[in-house]
Amino acid sequence: MSDRETFLAAISGALGNDRIRPPESMDDSTVGFSTPDDVIKRAKSIEKEILIRSEELCNDLEQAAKAAGWIVSSSKTQQDVVDYVSEVAKKIETRLVVKSNHKVIDSVIADPQTFQQNVVIETMNMSGNNTDVERESLRQTAIRAGLGVTGVDYAIAETGSVVLLAGKELSRLVALLPPVHIAVVEKSKILPSLDELFMLRRAEFDNDNLGSYMNIITGPSRSADIEQTLVTGVHGPREVHMVLH
Amino acid sequence: MEPRTKDFKQEAAKALADATIQKNMQNLYGGFFKARERAADETPGWEAMQDRAREIKAHTIEHLDYYLDKASRNVEKSGGTVFFATNAEDATRYVLDLAISRGVKTIIKSKSMISEEMGLNEKLEEAGMEPVETDLGEYLIQLRDETPYHIIAPAIHLSKDQVSDLLHEKLGGPRYDRAEDLTRLARDHLRTKFIEADMGITGANFLVADTGSLVLVTNEGNGRMCTSMPKIHVAIMGMEKVVPALEDMGIFLRLLIRSATGQRLSSYVTMVNGPRNDDDLDGPEEFHLIIVDNGRSKILADPAMREALYCIRCGACLNACPVYRKVGGHSYGWVYSGPIGAVISPMLTSVPEAKDLPYASSLCGACRESCPVKIDLPRLLIHLRSDLAEGGPHSGKRSRFSSEFVMVKAWRLLVSRPWTLRLGNRLARLFQFPLAKDGKLRKLPPPISGWTRYRTFPMVTTRLFRDRWIRGIQDKTSHE
Repeated sequence: MSDRETFLAAISGALGNDRIRPPESMDDSTVGFSTPDDVIKRAKSIEKEILIRSEELCNDLEQAAKAAGWIVSSSKTQQDVVDYVSEVAKKIETRLVVKSNHKVIDSVIADPQTFQQNVVIETMNMSGNNTDVERESLRQTAIRAGLGVTGVDYAIAETGSVVLLAGKELSRLVALLPPVHIAVVEKSKILPSLDELFMLRRAEFDNDNLGSYMNIITGPSRSADIEQTLVTGVHGPREVHMVLH
Repeated sequence: MEPRTKDFKQEAAKALADATIQKNMQNLYGGFFKARERAADETPGWEAMQDRAREIKAHTIEHLDYYLDKASRNVEKSGGTVFFATNAEDATRYVLDLAISRGVKTIIKSKSMISEEMGLNEKLEEAGMEPVETDLGEYLIQLRDETPYHIIAPAIHLSKDQVSDLLHEKLGGPRYDRAEDLTRLARDHLRTKFIEADMGITGANFLVADTGSLVLVTNEGNGRMCTSMPKIHVAIMGMEKVVPALEDMGIFLRLLIRSATGQRLSSYVTMVNGPRNDDDLDGPEEFHLIIVDNGRSKILADPAMREALYCIRCGACLNACPVYRKVGGHSYGWVYSGPIGAVISPMLTSVPEAKDLPYASSLCGACRESCPVKIDLPRLLIHLRSDLAEGGPHSGKRSRFSSEFVMVKAWRLLVSRPWTLRLGNRLARLFQFPLAKDGKLRKLPPPISGWTRYRTFPMVTTRLFRDRWIRGIQDKTSHE
């Protein structure tokens, strides 16, 4: 018997059964599971809802994000975003900025003139064929960078969070290794709560498009392990900015 | 980890006499406990959420074999490797074999209670590897060669000065006093480990059966590091961590995090689906999930104990417990402490050796009140006590005739007949005089000496209620 069979047989035995017995009905009255059709319907209605309620959700997000430790600001134009990033880079005196592949921040690199002369902006994306060499070089860049700039896949009004899906477009490291992170949030991507996020992710799973990695980020990295004194900036970014766009 | 549960009384006495520990533990009530209360109050529909989560956990545990089978197949579908470990030794051997075959030298670890059950760090060190705990609290206790004091705040028993001395002694360099500087010192030291590590080991907060997703909750970012930087990610989880559906994660995350620290959400919630895909920018090349039983099926096999497996490890019952807040985490002698530890540590190690743990509670019910999935902890503690007293299946006793059992039966015989009660009273009156001092009984002889170890008894009365009743209770002196 394989390790799985031995193990599961012991559990069946402990439950008083001689083999695995699936739950009688998936829509058991106490634990209701969604069917794929339900999920699609619900996902569509969420997408509609967030566009209609976008102003209200934006206000809620701002409140919750501030409470969670984000530095929140608004920007009307692409140029505002570029200026903001430039200002933060100047303030923290970094010479290396890494940015993700998100469309919303394309302009940040499109116009390097707006930055001070000695700041380099690298985009975390792969173009070459020898991907292992390229992966290593991107990793080294992220390790050295002082500032990471990303768009977001979603934001969550309830908790003041942003959601980043890593994959072929987006590095796991750009919002992790640099000590300062700027997240540019498009107002059309704000979800009311965690429940909508997981429903949408479930719909993506049914589409075979879940991806390998997701992070929900809520404020700066923090610890209270020494005498329950709150300290920000442990292994992740110590300072996080949310730009509502 | 070698259990020391039989030393509970000595260890508790030591903690009670330790002024530093008593001072450091004081923050727990005003900190975590109050934060949980506020978070529960401000969350709409908190109680309905608790009920729903409890129903889901009950359903899942009743079909645990089915959901583990499903979850593991979905993890494999996303490119991960799953190993089922019946006990800690099997799990340890799997990690060691994997690490040796990949030539691993440095291992970064995110907090995992189950790796404490396995005593994994020690085994990795014996094999010549360097395991590094990266949660700040875990890092500190690793430097002190200790075990976690609290499930979510492992170093809560240490004062800032102790941390300052520890880091100065172990890492060298200048001595720092402020929590910020001490944290930065540890951070800088760990940063190089994150970069050079070949393997990351994490625990698991949840495993979603439908999608094969591993969910990790952290605040410092070490969980993200362990799942992003090294080439190999190994996750180790207790088998009860599985939940059926992704769309229920919202409820579980709210309950877990708000009960643990009172935050609306922790800084990071990370969801892992297998290793990186071929065209991903980064992430580990290999993902291994180890699902561990290590005694949990013993809890599962007793329907009366089963709800102990609903626990989502938030630590709220520790913060609520007046006994834990005084005796501290190390007294419990194994990985899990507080009310939930008093239930599961005996069951996962040895109930007879850990026989003092179920008694380390006043049964006040504060743990049940604070539990996000409404586990009836006092009932579980009483169940274990009665099992021990009456020689039940967990007690390890062959006979039901324990001394307590015999004494209670004898007491019943004595007090259920008027003539034996009167006789007993006469005898007690006669024999109590050598034991009495200043009109009180301060020291009873064995086998009932335990009753007077911490309390004093009044003497057996000469004015029996029976006699007074017959006389029409004229004698009013006793209560006026």
